[in-house]
Amino acid sequence: MNGTLCVFLLLCLGCGLIHRVPVYDAFLEGAKEGISTARRILPSLIAMLCVIRAFSSCGLMERLCALLEPAAAWAGIPKETLPLMLFKPLSGSASLAMLREILNECGPDSRAGLVASVMMGSSETVFYTCGVYLAAAGVKKSRHTIPCALAAWLAGSIAASLAVP
Amino acid sequence: MLQWIFGGMAGLALVWGMATGAGGQTVSAMLNAAEEAVGTGIALAGAYAFFCGMLNILRRAGTAERLGAALSPALRRLFGDGLPAEALEPVTMNLTANLLGLGNAATPMGIEAARRMGQGADAAGNALCLFLVINASSVQLLPTTVIALRTAAGSANPAGIALPALAATAVSTVVGVLCCKCAEKRR
Repeated sequence: MNGTLCVFLLLCLGCGLIHRVPVYDAFLEGAKEGISTARRILPSLIAMLCVIRAFSSCGLMERLCALLEPAAAWAGIPKETLPLMLFKPLSGSASLAMLREILNECGPDSRAGLVASVMMGSSETVFYTCGVYLAAAGVKKSRHTIPCALAAWLAGSIAASLAVP
Repeated sequence: MLQWIFGGMAGLALVWGMATGAGGQTVSAMLNAAEEAVGTGIALAGAYAFFCGMLNILRRAGTAERLGAALSPALRRLFGDGLPAEALEPVTMNLTANLLGLGNAATPMGIEAARRMGQGADAAGNALCLFLVINASSVQLLPTTVIALRTAAGSANPAGIALPALAATAVSTVVGVLCCKCAEKRR
């Protein structure tokens, strides 16, 4: 078992105990929030998993990936992770469903599974995040925001493939 | 956006399935997926609740505030003169919450920060652009949702991706920031 998680959990508990946080109550409070988040995302997870499964079972996904494979191979990106990479900037729930498919198809510890896992965290849902915050700021022209965010997304995706040997 | 992805993909898949004579197969694949999604959702809920619980201990210990205090001088330098003084606090809080993976706390702070940076202008200022790009490129110390999904999929080492993930998200953020700084200079 990797030590990263142990260290992190110890850090959480240690910080809590030092600052006299009632750790059990705090845990329950957070867990309750986690459960309600999971319940909130379940309908969209169902919707997206259905659509993605339909798309791949009728053979369209295969064609889409075959089309993009040369470019992916050039950048060292495994072709199984291409759908995830493409959907990442568009929708959080779609990319979550996509990651689940890759983990179950290729195995969570295969190279494709590892790259997909790293890719998932390397950038946010670019269009959604920018949309929400731009609306909050009330500005009309986003100037260089979207191109720069997409450059970050591309760099993150390629870095994800490089980070997994 | 989502309705086009959902409608477009489902429609395309059904039409394509019918045209190639695999319509029934496509529909049964969809129904199977719906069933499996519930299983994944439940498995995810357990691990997700666990991480949220642990992170909440960290939050109650005031870690976000201390991390924020440590970060704010660096942020002031990064954002430069364009950042209104009253926006520094929500910007710091938003980025720290994102770092710790407290999505529920990060979004309201981000909205507040964006509102204070917008100030009724027509075009986004340099600071707002930079803030959006940093948020869009994601900065998270531990990708808890991914670890939860990997656990549900039966990985031998669910958290093994933590360090590569940190490296990849650092690369995406640095590239985003550099692109922003270049775009600012060009004008």
